[in-house]
This record gives sequence, C-alpha cells and structure tokens, in this order.
Amino acid sequence: MSEALDRRLAAVTGLALTAAVAAWWLGSTHLALDQGSDASRSAADALQALWLVRGMAVALLSVRGGAVRGWQHAAQAAVGLIAPAWPLLVLLWSASTLSLAQVALMESLLLAAALVLPLLGLGLRRALKQTALADVAATGVGAALLAALWFARGA
Amino acid sequence: MALRRLLLLGLALGGLGGSGGFAHAAEQPRIDVVAAPAWKGWSRPGRTTEIDVRLNADSATRATLDLVAGRQTVHTDFDLQPGRGLRLQMPVSAAATIVLSAGPAAGPQQRRELGIAQSESPLLGVGLASGEQVTLEGFHSIALAADDLPRNAAAYSSIDALIVDAATLGALDQRQLSALLEHAAGCGRVVVLNTDPRLRRVLEGARGCGGQALMSAASPAAAKEMLEASLAASQPAPMAPGALAELARPDRAVWNQVAVALAVYLAVAALAIMFFSSFALTLLVPVLACLAFVALLQVLPAPSQLVVWSEGESGAPQARYAAWQRFQGVARERRRVPMPPQLASSAQPCGTGPALAFDFDARSARMTSVEFDTRLFRQVALCYSGTFPMSRALAIEKHAAGVQEVRNAGTKALPAGVLLAAGRVHHLPALDPGARVTLVAQSGKSPRSAALRTAAARAPADGVAALWELELGGVASVPADSKGWLLVSVPVP
Repeated sequence: MSEALDRRLAAVTGLALTAAVAAWWLGSTHLALDQGSDASRSAADALQALWLVRGMAVALLSVRGGAVRGWQHAAQAAVGLIAPAWPLLVLLWSASTLSLAQVALMESLLLAAALVLPLLGLGLRRALKQTALADVAATGVGAALLAALWFARGA
Repeated sequence: MALRRLLLLGLALGGLGGSGGFAHAAEQPRIDVVAAPAWKGWSRPGRTTEIDVRLNADSATRATLDLVAGRQTVHTDFDLQPGRGLRLQMPVSAAATIVLSAGPAAGPQQRRELGIAQSESPLLGVGLASGEQVTLEGFHSIALAADDLPRNAAAYSSIDALIVDAATLGALDQRQLSALLEHAAGCGRVVVLNTDPRLRRVLEGARGCGGQALMSAASPAAAKEMLEASLAASQPAPMAPGALAELARPDRAVWNQVAVALAVYLAVAALAIMFFSSFALTLLVPVLACLAFVALLQVLPAPSQLVVWSEGESGAPQARYAAWQRFQGVARERRRVPMPPQLASSAQPCGTGPALAFDFDARSARMTSVEFDTRLFRQVALCYSGTFPMSRALAIEKHAAGVQEVRNAGTKALPAGVLLAAGRVHHLPALDPGARVTLVAQSGKSPRSAALRTAAARAPADGVAALWELELGGVASVPADSKGWLLVSVPVP
C-alpha cells in the first residue's frame, strides 16, 4: 500500500468515526429536545466516545505504522485520523458542560499519542531488527494499548 | 534650617494625606438598610415570597441591591437622595435563606441574611385587627398585620388561605390591595370579615372560580367554617408549568441547521480526501470547518417560544393565566433577554434549571430582563402566572336528545373557536351578542391537537367549555413563535 493511500485510509477512518458519533449525538439530542430534557449529557457522552474511538484507532494503527513505514508517515496518518473530528468537537463542546481547557487537554493528549506511538513502533523495529517480527510485535502492542484504553474508559 | 524645612514639608504632606483620607471617608455615603420578608417570614418550599426593603442614605448616591435566593438572583440599581427613603418590594423564590447585599454602586456592600421559615403544612394567614387567632386543622396559622401582606400578587403563592378583616383591608395601600384582588381573581382562597358593601362589591368584581374562593363572613368562627367548606369542595387547580411545556411545539430549527452544517462538512471532507492526497489539505479542511462552525454558532438566531394558557368562567370579569417561555441556546455565552412587560411582574424560574439573574426596575417595580448561562441546545424556561380582564359570556340551553343551544350572553361579539362537551369537540362560529348556535352531541369530533386534549381534560366533566386562540399581538416583547388559548367553562342548567 502506498503512503498516500495509507494516509487516505486513515483520514477516511477518522471521517467515518466522526460521522458515526455525529449521527448518534444528533439522534440523542433530537430525542432530548422532544422530551425537554438536558441535551448536554449526550454531548459529553459523544465527546468521550470520540476520544475513545480515535484513541483506540490511533493506538492500533500508529505503533504498527511506525514499525512498518517509519515515524513521519505513521504520525501523518495518525494526525489525519484525528483531525476530521475537530469541527464536531467544536459543536460538542458548545453543547456540553465541559470546560475548554478539559477538551483542549484531551485533544492535546491524543495528538501527543499520534506523534509518540509511531516512535514506539520505530523503536520496536530497531530493537528487533526484522520488519516482519516488528510488525507482529507492534500489532500486539497496539492491541494491548487498545484493550487498555477500552478497559480504562470508565475510570 | 534645612531640617526645619524638611519637617514643615513632612507636616504639610501628612496634612494633605490626612485631609485626603477624610475626604475619601466623607465621599462614602452611609446607607441604612432594613429588610423584612412578607408573611412574617413564612412560606412553603418551591413558592414565591416578597422582600420589603427600605433604604436611606445620608447623601445623594447611586446604589445597588442584590437578592440571592437559591439559584435566583434579583438585581436593581437606583438613586438615593438624603432624607428621601426608598422602599422596594421584590418577589423572589422562597429559599430557606435569602442573602441581601446593598450599598453604593462603587463602594462596600452591606450584607444581610433573611431566614424564610419553610412550612410543611399549608399556611393560613390571619389578618385580624383584634389579634384574634383562627386555627384550621392541618394548617399553620400566621397572625398578620397590614404591612405583612405583599405588594406582588406572585407572593400570595406562599400562603394557602387568608382571613382578613375590614380594618386590615382598610390599612392596605393601593399596591397591596391590587395584589390581593389579583390573588382573589386567580382563585386564591380569601375570607373577608365585616367589609362595607362598597369594598365587598370591589372584591366580588375581581373574584375568580365562580366566586367559590372569595368568601365574606361576619365573624372569625363563620370564616373558619366557610374555609373548611371551601377546602372540602374541589376547586379547579391552576395549570402546571410542565403541562404547558407539552403544548409547546419542539423547536428544531437550530438542530436542523447544525445537522445540515455537519452533513455539508462531512461531504466536503470526504471529497477532499478522495481527490487530494496532500497532508496539509487533510488538516486545512477540518481547521477551516472549525472556524466556520464557530462563526455559525455566533450568527444563528436563538429561538424563543411563549405559551399562554388561560381559564375563566363564563361571565367572569377576570381570567387566570399560566405562561411558559422557553429560550433555546445556540452558543456558549451569557445571554440577557428582555421579558414581556405585561407578564414580567410574576416571572419565576420553572422548576430546576440554571441560575437566573433578574434585573428589577425600581421605578416600575417589576422585572425587566433575565440573564443566564446558555449553550448549544440548552433550553431555559421562565414561568409566569396572573390574571387579565375578560369579557366572554355564554349560556347553554338543553333540549331533548343531546341537543344543546349555545348563546352569546354577553354584550360583545365572540370570535370563532371550539366548544367542548362530553369530551367531544364542536366548531363554534363567531357569535354576535344574543346569537345562538345548536350543538348536537353526536356530531362532535375527538380532540386531536395537544391544546384540544388539554382543554377536554380541564373542561368541567358535566359542563360545556369554549376554547379560543388568544391574540398575543398586544403583548410587548413576545417571541414570534408564541401561542395562547383561553378556555371558558359554561355551567349547564
């Protein structure tokens, strides 16, 4: 797979995740408006969901990307996966009770992960010295990070 | 010599500093604040009370006053003149502790805490000049002087029944009397003792609920008996704000615009990903969309909706109303909205919502605007209640086999509306004075809209009621998307 295609695939994944969360949020907000209930809860839930799914996707793809294609390519793909959700993030923050600092901090952490995790993959490749073995190990590390994020979501 | 000069300079500077200090102290006017809650400080949880504040200053000054009662704040600015005291009566939520802060606009504030006794039992206000006490089973009685009665009709929600004699009535000022009449028109239970015929006529002219709630007695014992009989009989309950919310159409304008904006962004982003492979563009599209969304939230109009439901009896001079106004948020901001002047005197927060800061105009003695924190899709509601003059009279004549004749018994023409009889809805054409329309029971339709269902539920079970849509054009500052109804119940002979 070419680097451009790889990056496109990551961007499409990010856009698809954004569309799915946006559809869920708009649906639950519609119900909240009809019932006259508080719509900020669904916005906060959508923000959490957006951070979780993008975090899991970055964890799974970035470590392996770094191991197989190098840091720059993997970091670009990871940032390309994160960025499509930013406009939705603006709307969700406007509808939620979360502070701007909280949202900015979470997004910065996600961006930092997108830049650091490919380095981890790169380190694995250099340590193991075999691309195939590094690919398997990086996928394993990515899956472990994904599982850790999933189980830590409520904490 | 030099030392002497230095000493003189020091003294001169000290003197200047000292006189400056005195001048500064003299600039701060002294403001005396005396505050007392209505009903001798008694109320019930979730009700409204009134705080009577008297202010005096020793020099002309601009001053401010803030009342904090739970999540409600009432703020007012006013000018104080020496020797001319100012008295304000401000309606507030009956929180257990109401904090009052008053002082010069740019100076230190005095703080007072006013305790409101929250009664679990219904409250009976007894305003008898003789000091005689009246007790009702299950009620907590409060002995009242004329000055303990409020100037805002909304504060009457603190008590559940009132006995007042002619002497106390005579000692009420014009605003207290107006508030009492509005309370009586809104079906508040009031027994008046030994009133003269002229005052009785005034009170009877304002009574609501077919006169069931306003009673006249010759002695405290008779007043007690009348109240007991009135409490035993059912009386139409005022419309609940929650029920009014059901009459409002859900406003989805902002939701629709946000959904369209998101869909457009997703489509543009998808096209950009498909046709361009540049990493910079992958970042540029979301960043530009962020800016566009921030701008969109700033320019989208924030919708507001008002629903008014009013009820009265055929021929009664007053109808009582409950109104509910919803403000929908668009952006995260502090929003200030003006209140309709005709409704503002009874404005209150509806249930649990955000903290509301009301602006109170000391000159007109009413709320003028409300301020609150809002965000996208947040719905903030205000509730109003009160009475307005009405002139609609219908008479029913029963004929055989479910046929009834409805006649405009008033002196004014009636607009077209609907008639509700036995849970069925009939068209009511416009009727000139004396004009009639025949109603056949079987010809009615079942109520379909929320307003008709509400009217059918609130119409007397064995009677007939007429429902008209209210023209709200005469109410200033009402939102464009406003609706109002007037339900008039007609006794069937």
